Amino acid sequence: MRQQPVEQQGVRARIPFSAPFLPLAMEFIEKGAHGFGYNDRETGGMVLAMEELFSFYVSQAASKSAIEIELEDQGYRLALILAFRMADPDMRAFNLTWNLSPDSEESLAMLGPMIAARSVSSLRLDFGANEQVVLRMTRDRDYAPARAVPLPPSEVAGPLRLLDPSADDLSHFAAMAAASGTPFLPPFLSRPAMAAAMLSVGHLSALLIARGDWMVGGVLWRPLTDSCLELYGPYMFTGDPDDQGLALLLDEAVGRISRSGYRGLVRRQGPLAGHERFFDFLGELALRGLSNAAARSTYYYRQLKEESGGAVYCSGSLAAFLGEQYDRLCLPRQVRESLIDLARMRPASVLSVELEPARSLAIIRPLCAGKDMAANLTAHLDLLRGEGIDNFLVEINTGRSEDTAFVTALEETGFLPRLVIPDAGQGDLVIYDHPDKDMAA
Amino acid sequence: MNLDALIPDYVRRFQAYIPSKPDHLLMREYGTTLLHRLNNNENPLGPPPAAARVIAAFPPERAAIYPSGDSYDLREALGLRFGITPDRFLVGNGSCEVISSVIKAFCQPGDNIITADKTFAVYEWVAEFSGIEARLVPLQDYAFDPQGMLDRIDRNTKILFVCNPNNPTGAYWTRQVLIDFLEQVGQNRIVVVDEAYREYVEDPEYPDTISLMERFPNLVAFRTFSKMYALAGLRSGYLVGTEAVVEVVRRTSVAYSVNVQAQQAALAALVDDQEHIAATRALARTGKAFLRGICDTLCLETVCGEGNYLMIRTPINDMLMYRRLMKRGMMVRTMTGFRFPGWIRVTLREMAVMECFAEVLAEEIRAIRMQGGAR
Repeated sequence: MRQQPVEQQGVRARIPFSAPFLPLAMEFIEKGAHGFGYNDRETGGMVLAMEELFSFYVSQAASKSAIEIELEDQGYRLALILAFRMADPDMRAFNLTWNLSPDSEESLAMLGPMIAARSVSSLRLDFGANEQVVLRMTRDRDYAPARAVPLPPSEVAGPLRLLDPSADDLSHFAAMAAASGTPFLPPFLSRPAMAAAMLSVGHLSALLIARGDWMVGGVLWRPLTDSCLELYGPYMFTGDPDDQGLALLLDEAVGRISRSGYRGLVRRQGPLAGHERFFDFLGELALRGLSNAAARSTYYYRQLKEESGGAVYCSGSLAAFLGEQYDRLCLPRQVRESLIDLARMRPASVLSVELEPARSLAIIRPLCAGKDMAANLTAHLDLLRGEGIDNFLVEINTGRSEDTAFVTALEETGFLPRLVIPDAGQGDLVIYDHPDKDMAA
Repeated sequence: MNLDALIPDYVRRFQAYIPSKPDHLLMREYGTTLLHRLNNNENPLGPPPAAARVIAAFPPERAAIYPSGDSYDLREALGLRFGITPDRFLVGNGSCEVISSVIKAFCQPGDNIITADKTFAVYEWVAEFSGIEARLVPLQDYAFDPQGMLDRIDRNTKILFVCNPNNPTGAYWTRQVLIDFLEQVGQNRIVVVDEAYREYVEDPEYPDTISLMERFPNLVAFRTFSKMYALAGLRSGYLVGTEAVVEVVRRTSVAYSVNVQAQQAALAALVDDQEHIAATRALARTGKAFLRGICDTLCLETVCGEGNYLMIRTPINDMLMYRRLMKRGMMVRTMTGFRFPGWIRVTLREMAVMECFAEVLAEEIRAIRMQGGAR
């Protein structure tokens, strides 16, 4: 049986965006989260984020304006959306590099958003029409790590059969994947109950294969962006003569995905033997400081819709790089030169950083362009190096002018474009890395 | 405006089909100066001569006048051709329109339809965006699996769709397989046999569905003027069933949906189609033999039944193969959307185009193998 997504529940409020209503907003989150069954620790992180963000922005809010608060239980995580209108919101404090100075009142005031950003599992900023600011946060439930489970013997008799996993099946599969010692284990698989909960709400899809009484392999996928899915696996726990299991899993998975609305499928794990039949090869990134297979990230892509044409606006060396990549991948794109007018930008840029300590990796994404882009990137590099991070990637979405505005600053700070993931954002996603950690930024 | 609140769940979940861009845009995007259409199974010979003459002589002032709302003359001609009353035909704006009419006529949310997983997708799409469950049965040896379909029937099953011959595999049920299936389905459900490519089948065992309708009044056939009759650009197809079934389907059909030129051309196409059918079959037969030979030489697996198309298994993923061929001016159909990842479907066309395609395909395959894949 295919898993039917569980209906998600949420609560909504629209309240005046003024200081006296802060307790109500906090109470709303606390009672709501407890009502959905989240524990004090999980709830506390979200309440703290609410308190800090509300307090910070309320002083910039126009009088008689309102804030819309939406809290949704997504099963494995709590999602909070704050939406309000603001002419020129100050986002600087979301930068990882925001420095606190006890002598500076402004600096102390900025502490709030930084605390908020660090008390949740993810935070995203969106700017809409009519000066709308939308802050989206999630806080994952706390899940226990995988327990030890036995793996099948290397040879299992019987025909291979496909299995649409139940939540329990997937939980067991996740524990097997963790036990297999694969270096490419996404966080949700190292927490089997989280994988099962994600499957139940439809945020994760999976297909397993069984032989005899054993689950012998599986593949998973979930949205990477609104237009692109990410594939995990196939994980195989036994020998797979002639890649039978692998082909069965990938053909069936791609067949199922093909009639969804997604335009692309990406795989970012290790090399996949015989990948040509399933994927386009996008490139490989070598990560420093690791000795296992996870040191190399191999990027594969599969287009899911025939129609893929479009125009890309960018400047500098990125245009040449994209032209070369699009030609190699036979992708119909027109690369057009765009001009960035630094003088008309807001003073401060904003970057978000996702850290993967296990791979000593920081993934930096532009949120807002600004006049200080190069300095901001340099500050991030310095701070992250100080934290012992060896690898830096920057993701540039070719469909967002706030992203492509960073191209010159990236060049100036030593970043190089390495590969492009088609359709992985509003446009394509260009991955830059920093080739030499000691290079002066 | 809260648009979301207005949209039924099953529409919200559904993803609209994205048709190909016009040829001139595709040529610009892929940087090619020619484009051979090998993607839509169109007939390169064009319409039969009488239909071609009607189209050429179409008087512009006739465009100001509404067509017959129920394709009256065309249904009369079809009645004469098949020896049955015109009331047993329902003409639509291509057979896709009659698929929609049949589902609307017999199904409501909670019901289900049954078809194959790897076939023409419109049965599944119309069901899904109408809130009807589409139960998909895997093909067996590239053909519809009668027992598999029977096994999925339950009390909410209203329609079973069989694409015969199947697009894209070309496999078909013989008359006896269809009869056995109809007997087991019983008469409480509609069985639709989509015969879009029927004129390409030369096997005498291929079923004559109209002759079976007296015995199986729940049997409905779809046919089209788009494929063999080369009127795809005018959009005209029809449904044939018993008078009782057609009367019900007519209730959910839009009158006046078939334009006057399509009606006139389709009617004319029936007048002198014998030589045209023979020539088209010969063209498909020759193209098929040629292309299979080329694929054998290149060690490429093919799947090839009846119809003017052939499936080729590609050594790289079909989407990349599509883009590589597009850059060379060859537009094929990727099979990922048909749940056949790793395959392309190629329309069988005149030899000059087939030879051109074979040359490009061979060059691309050699280049791919020399590169050791897609790197």
